[in-house]
Amino acid sequence: MAKSANVTDRSRALVIRETRSAYLFLLPSLIFFVGFVIIPMVLCVYTSFFDSTMGKDAKDVFIGFSNYAELWRDPIFIRSLKNTIIIVVVSVPTVCVFSLWVASVVYNLKGPVLSTFRCIFYLPVVTGSVAVAVVWKWMFNNYYGIFNYVGKSIGILDKNINWLGDERFALGCIILILFTTSVGQPIVLYISALGNVDTTLVEAAEVDGANKMQLFWKIKWPLIMPTTLYILVITTINSFQCFALIQLLTSGGPNHSTDTVMYYIYYSAFKLYRYGYANSMGVILAIFIAVLSAVQFKLAKEK
Amino acid sequence: MKKLLALGLSVTMAVSLAACGGDAGKETGGADSGANNNASEPQNTEAAAGNEAADNSAAAGESTAITLWTYPIGNWGDSATVDSIIASFNEAHPEISVTVEYLDYTNGDDQVNTAIEGGQAPDIVMEGPERLVANWGAKGLMVDLSDLFDTTAGGEIYENVAAACKSTDGAYYEYPLCMVAHCMAINKNVFEAADAMQYIDEETHTWTTENFFKAVQAVYDSGVENVGAVYCSGQGGDQGTRALINNLYGGTFTNPEHTAYTADSPENIKALEELYAQDGINFDASIAGGDEITLFRNGTLAMAFCWNAAQQVNADNSAAGTTNNGDTILPMLFPSDDGKAELCGGIWGFGIFNNGDDAKIAAAKTFIDFVCNDETQAKESVKASTYFSVRPTMTGIYDGMEIADTMDEFATYFLPSMGDYYQVVPGWATARTEWWNMLQRIGTGGAPADEVQVFVTNANQAVSEAQ
Repeated sequence: MAKSANVTDRSRALVIRETRSAYLFLLPSLIFFVGFVIIPMVLCVYTSFFDSTMGKDAKDVFIGFSNYAELWRDPIFIRSLKNTIIIVVVSVPTVCVFSLWVASVVYNLKGPVLSTFRCIFYLPVVTGSVAVAVVWKWMFNNYYGIFNYVGKSIGILDKNINWLGDERFALGCIILILFTTSVGQPIVLYISALGNVDTTLVEAAEVDGANKMQLFWKIKWPLIMPTTLYILVITTINSFQCFALIQLLTSGGPNHSTDTVMYYIYYSAFKLYRYGYANSMGVILAIFIAVLSAVQFKLAKEK
Repeated sequence: MKKLLALGLSVTMAVSLAACGGDAGKETGGADSGANNNASEPQNTEAAAGNEAADNSAAAGESTAITLWTYPIGNWGDSATVDSIIASFNEAHPEISVTVEYLDYTNGDDQVNTAIEGGQAPDIVMEGPERLVANWGAKGLMVDLSDLFDTTAGGEIYENVAAACKSTDGAYYEYPLCMVAHCMAINKNVFEAADAMQYIDEETHTWTTENFFKAVQAVYDSGVENVGAVYCSGQGGDQGTRALINNLYGGTFTNPEHTAYTADSPENIKALEELYAQDGINFDASIAGGDEITLFRNGTLAMAFCWNAAQQVNADNSAAGTTNNGDTILPMLFPSDDGKAELCGGIWGFGIFNNGDDAKIAAAKTFIDFVCNDETQAKESVKASTYFSVRPTMTGIYDGMEIADTMDEFATYFLPSMGDYYQVVPGWATARTEWWNMLQRIGTGGAPADEVQVFVTNANQAVSEAQ
């Protein structure tokens, strides 16, 4: 009996020691997570209820939900929200469909060829966004950009188009650039997912007479659904948070036609010094992303 | 092994936490003393206290470390130049060490604002009154530099320049070093080929509004599709578009008291309408001032509205005063209906952030005094900016240099046309943003009369909010 109690005490001590070690290993990450994610999040929500600006004598004034109420009366915010939604609605499906198509074409290619394709599609992801933006800015240049040059050379364009300086084209250009920088990761993920589909299931279906379409939609598609869900969520979040391209290429212009909520947050906080107002936008953006992600999870689960 | 790792991690965390704790304590103390300084003490007392603190440090053999953040004002953005200035300073003041950070005009404001919010503002910042006085000064973040204006050198500064450095509360938040009158430039070869030089007084660098439009039309008719661009993708170089529009028919940007924006005048509306209707002039929302200069230098545009002496003597890509393909660049005053242009001035100097440390404030003032007022150093400091001194007594800065003739030409024909320095109106940061947004709206078909009204309403609202 005494021996058994002794063993229990020792195993409990071992568990405590293991747990303590585990927490100690977690501690560095936890401190960064709390310091750079949790605390800023709490401060963001807190400040959104204040009229907060820069200045030595400027005091934060509690204004309740006034910042949130003002958002829906602010035409620039509404336009930013619309632009953001357009980017998400266009970008997410096209990225998913295109990357699935490319992955399904290349995933069963031989090693070096497959690696080459992976590199090509992944290159824009690992290239710095500033470098990407500079190259695209040059290609879209109003005066000597390659698109105008080629367009005029082959007779599609009568005169130069100011791609990034014209309201009709600027947002489309941003979506196109975002598309090229977004497809790399989903393609690599889809290639892995398709490569991991159980071949016995595929062979069994083939033996049963399934054609290629049936094979894909009935066998492979359900098996790669977790990857699809991950890609949907990540692409949605990235599209909602589109900022660097806007800042580097258009600064939200012309006439706010490329403003996104993320850029307007930056603009309100750093150009207009309206910290409380900018934070209220951040909260709304977070809610939008959370709701959409939840919906995507739910729909994927039902499937 | 696991135990050892866990122990190591714990020690690391404990040490870093202790270090954080130490810093926090320091910051709190600093902030408190800053608040005390700010209470209601006269600034002279504060400066005197600061000097005393610096003297005490020096007597105790301690060194004071200060930080200088500088925007790219001529070669003040070049580390070799700034290092040599600091080396000269340290020969005279070895007790003060200066660390420099170089800002650019794209992200510089964000960096400074972030530092201010994080309680890490630099001790000294080098820029113009629109930031030092109208923005950070108006927000109560800067130290009053009136005592520097009381020096002999300070008393020699041009009256209008000193006025631009003075806030509405009577405090001086900038001590100026150099200045320039922003102008425009044309590609002389292109104008000659289009027979448009007949509309220009080449000797005095002037032209009337009527002749400006005739010249643009002539260049356009000669086959140059893009003669000039009213750039408006951001605030970079916006002094050019403001000066162009204000000068064409004698409009104004603010009232003389600098308390309200007046850009909705019929003169400005007419200027915007005519510019918009003019062949060869694009309202381009895809470029800012820097892009326009690039397009002018590479021959895409035949004129630049964002120009000054430093651009004229720049020889980075081709010989000074020429475009990349060797065409001659002729600097011009902005066209005006009476032939008397008012150029937008650029004034650059130093401001001190009130970080609540008297010793650092005193050291920062010592640095500014040396750089701007020391008999030998001041000329070198101005030379580094490639602009002109703010003191009429300081002459011959560029004597013996290759650029001397060009600088003399600018001093003779352009500096005297420097107009009202209105960039110190409260709410200036918002007004600047509203300006290029307004140009974008006009460029996409907005009626100038309506759009300038929107600009003035929003800008004046910023004035009332800032007061």
